[in-house]
Amino acid sequence: MSKKGKSLWSLNFNTATLVLIPAAIGINYLGKLFAGVLKLPLWLDSIGTCLAAVLAGPIVGAICGAANNIIYGLTMDPISTVYALTNIAIGLAVGILAHKGFMKNIKLSLVTAIVAGLVAVVVSTPLNMAFWGGTTGNVWGDAVYAWAIANNLPVFFASFIDELIVDLPDKIAVLLIVFAISKSLPKSLVALYQSGDTIDSLDN
Amino acid sequence: MKSISLYEEKGSILNKLAPESKILYIILALVLPAIVGSKMVSVVFIAISIGLLLFSKVLKKTIPILGVSGFVLLTVVIIQGLFRAGNVTPLLTLGPVIFYKEGLLFAFNIVVNVLNILLSFCVLILATKPSDMIENFVRKGFSPRFGYVFISVFQIIPQMTETMATITDAQRSRGMETEGNLLVRIKAFLPLISPVVMSSLINTKERALALEVRGFNAKNKKTFLNDEKKSSADKYIQITMILLLIAGIVWRVVGCLK
Repeated sequence: MSKKGKSLWSLNFNTATLVLIPAAIGINYLGKLFAGVLKLPLWLDSIGTCLAAVLAGPIVGAICGAANNIIYGLTMDPISTVYALTNIAIGLAVGILAHKGFMKNIKLSLVTAIVAGLVAVVVSTPLNMAFWGGTTGNVWGDAVYAWAIANNLPVFFASFIDELIVDLPDKIAVLLIVFAISKSLPKSLVALYQSGDTIDSLDN
Repeated sequence: MKSISLYEEKGSILNKLAPESKILYIILALVLPAIVGSKMVSVVFIAISIGLLLFSKVLKKTIPILGVSGFVLLTVVIIQGLFRAGNVTPLLTLGPVIFYKEGLLFAFNIVVNVLNILLSFCVLILATKPSDMIENFVRKGFSPRFGYVFISVFQIIPQMTETMATITDAQRSRGMETEGNLLVRIKAFLPLISPVVMSSLINTKERALALEVRGFNAKNKKTFLNDEKKSSADKYIQITMILLLIAGIVWRVVGCLK
């Protein structure tokens, strides 16, 4: 989804890219809201972050992830601020993979989903251990956690499995949705976020 | 439009203080217990936070925030109380279920920690308008472009929530089912979210145009619409808190040297 020649790590954002960030945070919020309304067993709260990462690169993805959780922290759930780290990691991973062409078709985007899921689990598990003693608050994951520690498995392992069982299906669902959406976006819109350093044009 | 922020202007002392004083309070409440190494300090800070919130007449507003984490805390208490490795001393027996002392103590520590974090954050977020806080950061040198990004989130989310209600109604009127078994509900997700996503992405283009026309990228110094929020007490409060932090560090270091 990216043009050759543009630096992946450029910090030079055009206005359209900056405006994409609040929109992505709004999409995250709506994903979570819809998942709640439809009573789905997933979070689906990182659609915006992943979409921004696919459209505008890893740095924007990471900024979306961080800003998203800071704003949650300042409004509804202070503890979610520390999970900004997880969302930064997801944004970076998805952005880099998308740049390498891993969002081209549905099979490759499944690979992206699994990588993003594993990254999220690796970053979240220590945070879960530090703040909650290892549980996630998701019924299915916590049931597995309870089973694991009741069988004298190490706590970090129980916590890892707890997070994995929730996060991996979640990220697969999120990235399939992102894939579907990003494929159906108009080209003129996609080009807006990928304009190079030389020409910033809004009227195409 | 319903704001996502739980902030409310009550004209209280907390409302009048500068956001930095309240942020410093959060840092103190989180760092001091770790420095001193005692759970009692956390309990004291929980009491102070409750007192401050009660005094500012916003204690009731903490309920939704506590509700978000309350459920997770409940599962922590149950799971650790029942299953934690090293559970040997039974404390409470409810039929076939036995709660153990070690697990409950561990869970109690987590609960105290989480409550301290939640309530000290409430002191900030229930008494500070988000845009005031971000404006103050921009005054202190935070990038105004990113300041805009943060402030606009608070405007965009209520707008998008309204769009969501419209789209849900529209899709339902076309016969889409949003209730039923899991498969039906999963199928409903994409037709619900994709129109909002599309429209909000297309809106970004218009928003970017509107911003650039109004000189968003201008390089000269930005001015502020609102006056800076601070009171005469702020300086003393901030100094007191920094002194407390230093006192905590000194106390710990002296304790270690003995």
